[in-house]
Formats: sequence, C-alpha cells, structure tokens
Amino acid sequence: MSALVLDGLAKRYGSVVAVHGATLRIPHGQFVCLLGPSGCGKTTLLRMIAGLEEPSGGRLFIDDRNITEMPAHKRDFGMVFQSLALFPHLTAGENVAYPLRIRGVSAADQRKRAAELLDMVQLPGMADRPVSKLSGGQRQRVAIARALALSPKLFLLDEPLSALDAKLREAMQIELKQLQQRLGITTIVVTHDQREAMTMADLVVVMSQGRIHQAASPVEVYRRPADAFVADFIGMTNLLEGEAAGNGTLSVPGGTLVLPEMTGNSRVLLSIRPEDVVVHGNAEGGPNRLAGRLSFVRDLGASVELRIDVAGREIVAVAHPKDRPSVAPGSPVTVELPPQACVLLPLATGHAERAA
Amino acid sequence: MTNTTNTTRFQGGVSRRAVLAGAGGLAAAATVTGFPNILRAQDKSLKVGVYGGYFKESFDKHVFPEFTKATGIAVESVAEPTGEAWLVQLEQAARARQAPADVSMMSQVAMLKGMSADLWAPLDLGKMPNTANVLPHLVNKYPDGRVAGIGAVSWFITLVTNTQSYPQAPASWAALWDPANKGKLGLMALVSNSFLLEVAAATHFGGTKHLDTEAGQLDCFKKLAELKDNVNLWYRDEAQFEAALKSGEIPMGQYYHDVTGLAVADGQPVRSTFPKEGGINDSGSWAVTRASTKLDLAHVYIDYMSQPSVQALLSRKVGTAPTIPRAKTDLTDAEFGAVSSEIAPIVPRYDMYQTKADWLNEKWTEMIVG
Amino acid sequence: MIRRPPRTLAEHAPILFPALMLIVFFVIPFGLMIAVSFFRRVQGGFYEPDFVLANYERFLSAFFGNVLSFSLMLAGLVAVVAVAIAFPFTYRLVRLPHPAQVRWLVFLLSVLSLSEVIIGFAWSTLLSRTAGITNLLVAVGLMEAPQSLSPGFGALLAGLVYQAFPYTVLVLYPALARFDFSLMEAARTLGSSPARAFFTVLVPALRNTIVGTVIMAFVFALGSYLLPQLLGRPQHWTLSVLITDQAIYQSNMPFAAAMAVFLVLVSLALVGLALILGRREGSQ
Repeated sequence: MSALVLDGLAKRYGSVVAVHGATLRIPHGQFVCLLGPSGCGKTTLLRMIAGLEEPSGGRLFIDDRNITEMPAHKRDFGMVFQSLALFPHLTAGENVAYPLRIRGVSAADQRKRAAELLDMVQLPGMADRPVSKLSGGQRQRVAIARALALSPKLFLLDEPLSALDAKLREAMQIELKQLQQRLGITTIVVTHDQREAMTMADLVVVMSQGRIHQAASPVEVYRRPADAFVADFIGMTNLLEGEAAGNGTLSVPGGTLVLPEMTGNSRVLLSIRPEDVVVHGNAEGGPNRLAGRLSFVRDLGASVELRIDVAGREIVAVAHPKDRPSVAPGSPVTVELPPQACVLLPLATGHAERAA
Repeated sequence: MTNTTNTTRFQGGVSRRAVLAGAGGLAAAATVTGFPNILRAQDKSLKVGVYGGYFKESFDKHVFPEFTKATGIAVESVAEPTGEAWLVQLEQAARARQAPADVSMMSQVAMLKGMSADLWAPLDLGKMPNTANVLPHLVNKYPDGRVAGIGAVSWFITLVTNTQSYPQAPASWAALWDPANKGKLGLMALVSNSFLLEVAAATHFGGTKHLDTEAGQLDCFKKLAELKDNVNLWYRDEAQFEAALKSGEIPMGQYYHDVTGLAVADGQPVRSTFPKEGGINDSGSWAVTRASTKLDLAHVYIDYMSQPSVQALLSRKVGTAPTIPRAKTDLTDAEFGAVSSEIAPIVPRYDMYQTKADWLNEKWTEMIVG
Repeated sequence: MIRRPPRTLAEHAPILFPALMLIVFFVIPFGLMIAVSFFRRVQGGFYEPDFVLANYERFLSAFFGNVLSFSLMLAGLVAVVAVAIAFPFTYRLVRLPHPAQVRWLVFLLSVLSLSEVIIGFAWSTLLSRTAGITNLLVAVGLMEAPQSLSPGFGALLAGLVYQAFPYTVLVLYPALARFDFSLMEAARTLGSSPARAFFTVLVPALRNTIVGTVIMAFVFALGSYLLPQLLGRPQHWTLSVLITDQAIYQSNMPFAAAMAVFLVLVSLALVGLALILGRREGSQ
C-alpha cells in the first residue's frame, strides 16, 4: 500500500519545463527529502503535491484516491513555508489554532489544542506571545505546530530550516526527525542541503533540472549513486573517465584497473569516494594501483585530506590520521582504488551499473 | 465659481463671444467730439477696475483704445478679483488714502455696501451730459440724493426652454409653477444670484414692492417652496445647466439671455423668452473711490461710456444690454434683441440683499434643502 | 549617523525647513481661520476683528446639525465603498505581471489628473436621461424608457467614489505589493478557501493600512464641494458646499471660518477615535 503516488506529475510555464513527469511512490510514515540545487524543480513539485500549483500533466493519488484536481484547502495536508508564513496579526496560539478556527472548533477547544501543540514543539506557555516577539527558532516551532494542528495525512516542509543559523539548524533537524518518528506522519521536506537530507530522510529524492535522478535511502544514494550528477552532488567524489576493454579491465589515465564484475566495453565514468581511496607512501605497484605524486595535504584534525596528482588528474583521498602516509608533498605515492568501492556510471545521464 | 453678480458669469460663453468679438469692425465708437482740449495732454491717465477675465479682455480690446484715442487719457486697466474682496480692498486702501483704481465696475450689492461706508465719491451729473440718457434704475444714489454710481453694463436673466421639448414658448414666469413641468427646471442655486424672490413677487404678488416687508418676503419664500418639485437641478455651474438645456435633459429654466442667444446662433434647440412679467435685469455700475485724485478724468470716462455709440459698441462687442433707452442707440432689432427687450424688466431688490443677506440666505437654503 | 537626539541648531537643520513650511502653509493659515471665526460679521459690509461666539451659535441649529451629519455620513459611506472596491482591485493588481501593473497605475494617475468639474460633468452625462446608460438598458430591453439618474444620491455617491478610487488604490498599493502572499497559501493549506483566506488573513493582516486608507478617503470626501453641487440635489449639499457659499457668495468669512473650524475638529475627533479603537483592538 502506497500513501502517496506521483504519476508523471509535470509542470510547464509556457515553454519552460519546471518539472518533467515525476513518478514516485512514497509509503506511509516515510520521511522524504526532495534534494537538489536551486531551480531544480523540487519546490514546484512540493507545491503541486500541496495543491498550490496546478500540474500541467500527470496525476496524484493518496491511498489510491485521485486528488490531482482537489483544491489545496480540501487536501488536509500540513505545510511549513520557507518564509514560515506566520500570520502577523495573530498570536502564536492563534496561529496554531487558525486551522481549527476555520473548521468551527469552539474557542475553548482551540485554546486547549493550541496549548498542547505548543507543548509538543517545546513552546509551553507561549500561546499569547505575538509572532513579532518570537525568535527565529520559536517561529519555526510555531509554524510546525500550526501545520500539524489537524494531524494531517501529509506533512510538507519547504526549506523549513534555511533561515536558521548552522548550529540551530542541526539541532532542529534532529528534533524534526524525532517528532516525525513519534507521530509516524508521512513527511516531505524540500532542501538543497545534502547533510540535512542525510540526517533526516528515509528516502532521498535527488532532483536536477526538473528531473528525478534517484530516489533511494541516504546510504544507497551515497554508496550507489545512480549517475554522475548524484555522485557529485551527494558528498565528495572522484570521477574518472575510462575505457572498458570487455575483459574486466578498465583503462584510466595513469593505469589500468581490474574490475572483475564489469561487463561490456564502452567509455564509462568511474566514481569513488575519497574515503575509499587508499594512499600508499611508496611507489610500489600492484593491482588497481595508480602511480602519482602527493600534491597537497590538508589536516582537518579528525581526518586528513590528501590530493594526489595522477597523470595530470587530481584524485582526492580522505584518510584517518593514523593511516596518514609518512611522505611529504611532492613525493611519489600510489593510490589504490578497491574494486568494491568503485561505481561505474554511464557517461551521459542514466542509471548506474554496479561494478563489484 | 460664479460671483453673486457678474464676475465670471460669462464663463460658459467666453470662447464664442471672443470669436464673435473678433469678427466685427471698430467703427462704432470712432465719432467722438466735443471733449475739452485741456484733457488731451499726454500725461493724463486713469486706473479702471474691471472684472477680470472676459470683461477685462473685451474692454482692453474694444473699448479702452477708442477711449484713449478720443480723449487722450491713457487707461490702465486693473483686473478685479471675484467676490467682494475688491470692495474690501478699496475700503482699506481708501483709509490709507490710496486708490488701487480710480474708477471701478461694481455689482449693485457692492455699490450699496460702499455707500453705507461712504466710499464712493459723489458724481456731478452736470459734468457728464451723456448720463442724462442712462435709465433711471441704473443710476445709484445716496439716500440724500448724491450720485454714487452710473450704470456701466447690464444684462438679462430670462426664461429659457428647449425648443424640442417645448414647441410653444412659455409666456410667463408662471410656467415655473406649472405642475406639468415637474422635474424639468434648472434654477440658480443662490438667493442672491437667481433673484427668484423678485420673480415670485412679480408673478404672484403684483410686483417686487411686495418684498418691502418681511411678511411679503415670507410669502415669496412660501410661493417658491411650491415649485421645488419642478426643479431637477439647482445649479451653480452655468456650463452644467447650459449643456443640460441644449440636450433637453433639463428643458426649462432661468439663464442669461445673451448666452442663450449665442447658443441659438450655433443652431442649438433652445430659446430665450422675456416673460410678460419681464426679464431679470442685473447690472454693474461705474463708481469712483473717494481716495481717487482724478475725479475730473473719471467724469470724462463715465460720460464717454454713457454715450449712445459706446453703449451700442458694448452691445455688439461685449454682449451687454444698453444702459440707455434703445431709441437713443443705432442698434438694429436683431442687435437689440440679442441683448435686451422692450418689456419692462424685473429689477432686483439689491437693498434687500444688503440689509438682510444672512437671513435671506438662511431662509433660502432651508427652503431648497428642506 | 548621529544616534543621539539632535542638540545643536545645525543638527536640527534638516527638520527646520519642513517645520517652517508646515508653519507657513498650514499652522498660520489655520490659526488665521480660527481667529476669523471669532470676528464679528458686518452684514452689508465685511467683518471686523472682535471676539464673538455668534458664528458658532448660528451653526448650532438643527439645520446645520443635519447638514453636518449628512456630510459625515456621506464621507464615511464614500470611504467605505471606495476601499471596499479598491482593496480587492489592488489585491488583483499587485499579482499581475509588472508591465500590466505599470499600465494600470499610469491609467489611474491619468484619472487623478481629471478635475472635479470634468468628473462631475462626465457622471451627470453618463447618468442623464438623454445620453446616459439607461438608454443602453432600454436598447437591451431591460427598461421601458430612459431615466434620469442625476442629480441624486446615487449619482453623487458614484462620482465621489470614482474620484476617491485612484487615491485609495495608490495608498493601498505599496502595502499590498509588500504583502507576503505565502500567507494566503498557508491559509489555503490550513483549510481556508481563497475567499475565506481573503477575509481571515489578508484583511486582518492589513487592518492598519485599511483603516488608514478609509480615514484618508473619508477626509478627502469630506472636503469635496463641487461634486455635491453638480451631482446632488440641495438635500445632498455637504457642509463644504455651505462653507463655500458663505465664504464666496455671502462674503461671510467669520461664519464660513466657524463652520470650517467645526468641520476640522469633528473630522479630527473621528479620525482620533478610529485610531484609538484600532490600537485597542490591535493590542488585544
């Protein structure tokens, strides 16, 4: 059973395509992050789900009910806006109680429920505070409480934490995730911050230029990126262009790699995360080793970043300080690319082919 | 907006009048003889106050140059402001022995107010032979008989109708009271410029003498209250009524005879009728402030203006009714008919507006508003 | 920047000029008017400096009381109707593409340039029997015969609202243009229909702007003295018309000044009342 199904949902503004047909199944209780650079269509997609934008094509279902044409105010989804959109003429409590007021809940019940919700977001006793007297974090919580006031089927958040400073943002990410888990509510968050997505999401949907590139768990998106865009956008990666020979070998600049499970012969892109690259402080050859020269070392305390020049290309490796090779920049080194850490990607956008 | 009397009353007809004025010659006033040679000296000059706008332009163009040519007296024309501000200025200046203008064109109520302050220098009719022609009701006199002013220009307010709505011209002001004319009238909005009290007195109470007493005035107010249902528009803006009259929106009312004549000449379906009770004859007078040191020149000026030929010129060029009997002028029937009528006029009771202005105004406003 | 309050003459200089202008062009004339309102009217003359209350006494009658209450009622109605039309209009306007907004604003500014006289004439023609809109209704078969709708209360109201409308839009425009429309979307996701969101979010959030605009339109309509003459019947003449009558036609400056002072005081009192009520509600 799928809670929310997007079936080819598209949005065009004249000749500009904001979202190509987006197809996605989101099961109940999932925490989903729509992740991508600005202008990738993630907010438009969220607004179509909320009913604030009319899709140019495709359909939207919730629990097998077609809600494509349903107006926003009948969908019963809670939404937190990037600007938070708190009503300036109302107090914190009145903001939270607004959806109850609209539905004709009695004044006493409104107050009671607003107080409960404010307790839930850890703002006890703030009901009578005017919105203008609240701090950024407090406003954030009021906006969340308001969106959840009616226990919605779907909880939508558009860049909800972007206005907060870094420290508060991290704390709120964890808090938001905990709240979602406690309530078990299906949640969709739009963000351009991949750390935020990795922290909170059960399902990360990576978007670029109006298309969904990959929808998978954070670990999967990180470990098995679907394409070069995803690999590059999520964390840091080394991308090497190579020529597959068909016999399980791949020639890359600086040498040849043996990837046993690789099939076919074509030009491909190899992606390997810096932390998977092993740097040896000698010039010894070996399987899947490429000779190079250490060009730069950055000591980050918890880790060491090494930049190695291999046949005119830079390969970045991140090592634990205790694994740091005892060579100075300028010395010859070899880098080892373990086959099980290598992901082969098509040169053009497309789906990944697992190498090992 | 309009003054109580004639300050800007020509608003509606200015452009047409200006066009007409430019078309004719200047022959009429050319024959001026018999003025004392002593006054032909170059340094003689006179400041003359004329209502700003249409009147001043017309006088500057058609009258003053002829006067200077005939008498050698240069005229410096002064534009008088609207309202009674000019009277106040003259009074205050006179206290300081100053004369912003030697001769001024004054409304009748202003004449009376000036007389009460003894502002006007007494005029000597003996020095102004031509003033013998001036109609008696246009000569302003102090209670003791001294002459304070001489009629300068006069005009008529008549009963006007749209010829399409009224194929037959009404004969009497009584038409205003005819129940058949319900909602069809346009009348002037102020007691002091509509002169409807006089019309009521002349039509229903045998003449404006009925207004001598407060009881008589109240009779007239009561009578006027009866025609309220007939009134569509109590107007202050002449152009508004003129447009409504032409279109037939408001097919009957009171309006200026000469301006209506211009509309007829334009081919508009309107007519002006002198009712049998007479048209309302309003006027302005020449008066000299007692602070003026040029009383002699002022006499020459007023005498010149009272000549039949100059009065005819004014009728032709400025559109005013002559202040002298028609027979003395060379005006043709058409020329005379355009500005006046042989029917005895209703002369406004200016004395009443001077002494009881506030009471009349309040009664009037309550009457038409209530 | 100087953060502390200005102390020396030089530091006060920037506000001296506007203060001077305010004194020369507002305080002094208004003071003169107050002074004249106590002068003695000389009937058949002008007025003399004095200190009499007769001008105010004359005003305190049922007749002028009725005129005053009609004027206030009319101005209030004009203000409310103008804002009731202008507010939704401006709400739509600020959401149009920018070039279309500019075209509308230019159009409204050009309406502003029309004089009261032209507006009065246009409306009296539009509502006339001979050339007015009722002829159109007759042509379509909705009416039996063309009818004159002017002068009358409806015509006067239409003219005054028409005149106040562009000002009202221009005053509302900046506030609505700055308005965060995600508030409306938030209201919709919280269960408000667009109409409900308009009344539960937009209107209350801009309440101060709306009250301010109503006050502006009220004061504006209160000062109108030409349209009531052109489009109204005598019973629709406002106090401003009577003030004009007294000042210009009756040369009764003291009485005109007394009425004007009274009108200013009553309007100030009403505006103050509106502001106090607004603040009290706002602080709740």
